Amino acid sequence: MNLLGRLRFRTKINIGITVIVVMTALILAMFVTRMASDALVQEARKRGRVLTGNLVLRSVDPLLSVDLLQLKTMVDEITEVDSDVVYAFIEDERGRILVHTFSDGFPVELINANKVQSGSRMNIVTIDTGKEKIYDFAAPVYLVGKKIGTVRLGLSRTKVQQVTNSLILAISMLTGLALAMAVLVSTQFAKRITARIGMLREHAENLVKGNLVVNRDKKTVNTCHEIRNCGKRDCPAWQDNLRRCWYISGTKCPECGENNYPDKLTNCRNCDIYINSSGDEIQELTETFDVMANTLKYHIEDLETAQKNILRQQKLLQTILSVSPDQVSLVGTDLTYMAVNAAFARSCGKKEEEIMGMRDEDLFNEEISNKRKQEVISIFSTGKIINKENLYQPEDGDPAQWFHTIRVPVYDEDQNITGVLSTARDITELKSYQSQLIQSQKMESVGKLAGGVAHEINTPLGIILGYAQLLQEDVDPESQIYADLGIMEKQARFCRKIVADLLGFSRQTTSDKIEMCFNNSILEVVQLVTHTFKLENVSIITDLDDRYPIIQGDPEKLKQVWLNLLSNALEAMNGGGIVKIITRLDTQDMTITAFFADSGYGIAKKNLNSIFDPFFSTKPVGKGTGLGLSVSFGIIEDHGGKISVTSPLPEGILEEELPEEAGPGTLFTITLPLEPGKEKEILSSEF
Amino acid sequence: MKIGRLLTVLVFVVLIPLVFCGCDRDDETIVHVDMSKREDIKVPEPEPAITYAYLPQYSHTVSYQRHNPLIEYLARETGLPIRQVFPDTFEEHRRMVERGDIDISFSNPMTYIRIAQSGARAFARIIEPSGSPTFRGQIIIRKDNRLIHSIKDCKGKRWIAVDPLSAGGYLFALGLFLKHGITTDDFSEINFAPGPGGKQEKAVLAMYAGKYDLASIREGSLDIVKDKISMDKIRILATTQAYPGWVYAARKGLSPEIVEKISRAMFKLSMNDSTQARILSTAGMRGIIPAKDSDYDSIRDLAASLGMFRENNSFREDSN
Repeated sequence: MNLLGRLRFRTKINIGITVIVVMTALILAMFVTRMASDALVQEARKRGRVLTGNLVLRSVDPLLSVDLLQLKTMVDEITEVDSDVVYAFIEDERGRILVHTFSDGFPVELINANKVQSGSRMNIVTIDTGKEKIYDFAAPVYLVGKKIGTVRLGLSRTKVQQVTNSLILAISMLTGLALAMAVLVSTQFAKRITARIGMLREHAENLVKGNLVVNRDKKTVNTCHEIRNCGKRDCPAWQDNLRRCWYISGTKCPECGENNYPDKLTNCRNCDIYINSSGDEIQELTETFDVMANTLKYHIEDLETAQKNILRQQKLLQTILSVSPDQVSLVGTDLTYMAVNAAFARSCGKKEEEIMGMRDEDLFNEEISNKRKQEVISIFSTGKIINKENLYQPEDGDPAQWFHTIRVPVYDEDQNITGVLSTARDITELKSYQSQLIQSQKMESVGKLAGGVAHEINTPLGIILGYAQLLQEDVDPESQIYADLGIMEKQARFCRKIVADLLGFSRQTTSDKIEMCFNNSILEVVQLVTHTFKLENVSIITDLDDRYPIIQGDPEKLKQVWLNLLSNALEAMNGGGIVKIITRLDTQDMTITAFFADSGYGIAKKNLNSIFDPFFSTKPVGKGTGLGLSVSFGIIEDHGGKISVTSPLPEGILEEELPEEAGPGTLFTITLPLEPGKEKEILSSEF
Repeated sequence: MKIGRLLTVLVFVVLIPLVFCGCDRDDETIVHVDMSKREDIKVPEPEPAITYAYLPQYSHTVSYQRHNPLIEYLARETGLPIRQVFPDTFEEHRRMVERGDIDISFSNPMTYIRIAQSGARAFARIIEPSGSPTFRGQIIIRKDNRLIHSIKDCKGKRWIAVDPLSAGGYLFALGLFLKHGITTDDFSEINFAPGPGGKQEKAVLAMYAGKYDLASIREGSLDIVKDKISMDKIRILATTQAYPGWVYAARKGLSPEIVEKISRAMFKLSMNDSTQARILSTAGMRGIIPAKDSDYDSIRDLAASLGMFRENNSFREDSN
C-alpha cells in the first residue's frame, strides 16, 4: 500500500510536478474554457440582442409605412454583414411574416418556436435544427405601447461552439507543452536535488557506520581568513578547512560576538562571509552534518577516554573488592542485593551475578535472614550505623566463625538512604588469639602463683625430706617405721618433683642456652627411649633435616620436652604403634620445626585447647601430674618458640604401614627460632 | 493510506470543476425545429379601412405617436376602421391623396391647396397649440449677428428653411421677403433642412451653429428646441402674417357620411376633457374646428405671389 513511500525522491518530484501541472492545466482549461465559452456565448447573445434591438429600431418606420423593400433590405443586410446570423425575419403586429431571409420558402415551424410574452422586450430560445443550434432572438416592435411587429433573428451557436472547441484545443496544446517543459525542468531539478541528497545520504550512512571523519572537498570551502585576509592566527577558524567559521565557537571576527555555536549564528547570518559563502538548505544541512559528525567524533573520543578511565577504576575497585577477604555487600531499598564482592559470594556458595536481586531469605536460613533484614530495615529507618561482632555457626558443621560486621547507610545527593553497605570481616583467628592471650595471661598468673607457692614449699619440703632421711638412719631398716619413713621420703621427693616442675613451668629456674645441634638433641632422647619403646611394640621413625641445624637452646630442657612428648605418645598407644619425628629447617624464616606424630588414640577435640594447661590430665589420678605438657610449653616459650597440637593427624604425615589398633593419631609441632630474640612472629606453621 | 488520501484530494480537485462545468445553462430553452418544412410566404393584404395620413412633417414614428391616439379615438367614436398610413414625402402624400390611397389627409395649408386641385376637400382645421386657428412663420437669427438688424439686412445672407413646401417654415417667410422686395435670388444661399423628420429643429440648429445667417421656422418650433439650445442667443427677426393652420381634407370621392362621422367626432374633441385633451395635445393641437376650402384662399394668394403651382393656374375651385 505504501507505494508512494517506496518511490524514489526524484520520481516523487516528477510525479508531484506533473500532477500539479496537469491539475492546474485541467482546472485552468476547465475554468478558462468554461469562462471563455460562457463569455463567447454571452457575447454572442449580447450581439444577438444588439443586432435584434437595432433591427427593431430600424424597422419601426418601414413597419409603419409597410415598406417591405426596406424591411427586406434590412434583414438581408444583417445576414450579409454578420456571417453568424443564420436568418432574420419580421412579422407584423399579427405575427404574419412580412419579410425573411430564407431563399427557398419559410420554415413554418420557426414562427411559433419563439413567442415573446406580452410586456417582455425580448425572448431568447435555443433552436435545435438537428444540424446545428441557433440562438433565436424575438423582439417585439412597440410604438406608443402598441406592438406593431416582431423582429426575429437567428444566431448560430455552432460557430460559438467551434470557437470554444478551438480554444480548448489551444489550451490543451499549451498544457501539453507546459507539461513537457515542466517535466523536463523538474527532471533536471530533481536530478540536481537528489544527487545532492544522495551525497547527503551517503554522508549520513558514513556517520551511521561510525566514519565520523569529514571528507569534504577542501577546495569548495573558502575559509573566512582567506576571504578577509585577517591574519588572525590565534582564531579557531584559522586554516580550518573542514568547518565553516559560523559553526566554530570563539572566532575572532569583530562582529562574531561572544556567543558560542549555535547562538552565534544570529550574528553570523548578517555577516558578509555568511551571506556570500553559505549555500542553500541542503548545503547548510550537509555542513551541519559535518559539524555534527565532528562534534560527535570529539564527544565519542571523550567518552571513550572517560569509559576507559571508568573501566580501569571499576576494575581496580573490583579487584580491591574481590581480593578483600571482607564480605562486602550493598542492599537496596527493596532489600535486594545490588552489589556483592567475591568473598561474600563465596561465603554464600554462589556467583556474584547470581546474588544480584536476591534477598537475604534466598541466601540464608530464616533465623539469620530475619536478623539481617531487621538490621537493614533499622538502618533504613534510623540511619544508625551498626558495628558489632557476631558468631556464625555454619550449618554444615564447620567450626564457628566470628565476624566483625559494620553496616552503614548509603545516602544519595538528597540525603535519602538508598542502600545499606555491609562489611563483614572474619575475625575468628583474632578471636582465637584473643583467647590464647587470655590463656597465656592466665598461665602467667598461675605460673607466678605456682612459682611463689613452690618456692615457699621447697624449703620446708627439703627439711621434711632431710629429717625423714635422718630419721631413717636412726631406725631399723626392717622396721615399720623405716618403711613409713621411706614412704614419707618418696612422697616428699614426689612433692619436690612437683615443685621443681612448677618452678620450671613458671620459668623461675634458670636455663643456660648454648649452641646446640637440634637434631642431636632429638637423637639423644630417641636413643635413650628406643629400647623401652620397642618393649611396648612402638617403633620410632626419624626423618631429620640433613642440614643439622644449630640453635641457641638449653639441651637439657629441650630433651625434657622431647622426652615428655615421646612418653605421652607411648602412653597413647596401647599395643604398639609408630612415632615419627620430622625436623625441617626454614632458612627463610630462620626457624627449625620439629613434628612429633604418633598413631595413638589422639586427643578429643574438646581437650585440644586445654592440654597445655597446668594440672590438666586425662590420665588416672596418680598416674600423671598434668604438668608435662605445660612445662614443655613453658620451655618452648622460653626458647621463643611455639608448640601446637593437631589431632587427628593431617593426611600425609604418617605414610608408613600402621598397626590395626592405630588411632587417629596426634601431631605436635614445635617451631623454634634459630637465634632466640630474632625470630619472626611465628603465627602458624605449615607442613 | 497516503496514496488513498492523495487520490481523494485529486478526485476532489478534479470533480469540483467538473461539477461546475457539468451544470448546464439554466436560462437556455431548447426548441426543436424542423427547418425542412417550408412554405412560400404571401405578403398580407392590409385590411380595408379608412386611411389617415399625416403630412410627413416628422418621422413616421413621431407621426404615429402624435396621431395614433387621435386615430384610435376617431375609430372608436365613428365605429369605422381607420388606419394610419405613412407616406415618405410631402409629394408622395399628395399623390396618395390623388390616387385615393389616403382617405383623410392632415396636411399643411400649402399642401392642401395642391391636393385640393385633385378634388380633396377641407372639412376641418385645427386650433394651434397657441390657441389660434391660424399660424405664422418666424425668421430667426443669432442675437450676436451684427449684420442683420432688419428684414432688408437679410439680403445676400445664407438662409436655412425647413422645406420648399413647408408653409410656416419657408413659404410664409418667403412671402414676407417678397413683400420687402427680396427675392430668392437676393440670398447668397437658400438651403433646406435634410431628412424626412425633425426639419424644424434642424433648421434652428443649423442657424444656431452658425452655418446659416437666418432660419425660417414655423411659429412655436423654438419651444421644441429650447432644451437643446440657449434661447438667449436667438432673436426673432420677424414674424409673418397669420395664415390658417393645418387642415383635414377628405379625398375626392370619399363618402360624405364618413366625412360627416369623422368630422363630428373631431369637433367633439375638447380640451376640457382630460382624455381628449391628452389626445389633442399629443397630436399638437388644441382642438379641431370646421373648415371650408375658402379658408385657404390666403394661402392660394401667397402661393400665387410666390409663383408656385404655375402649371395649374386655378388652385381655387371657386375662382372667386
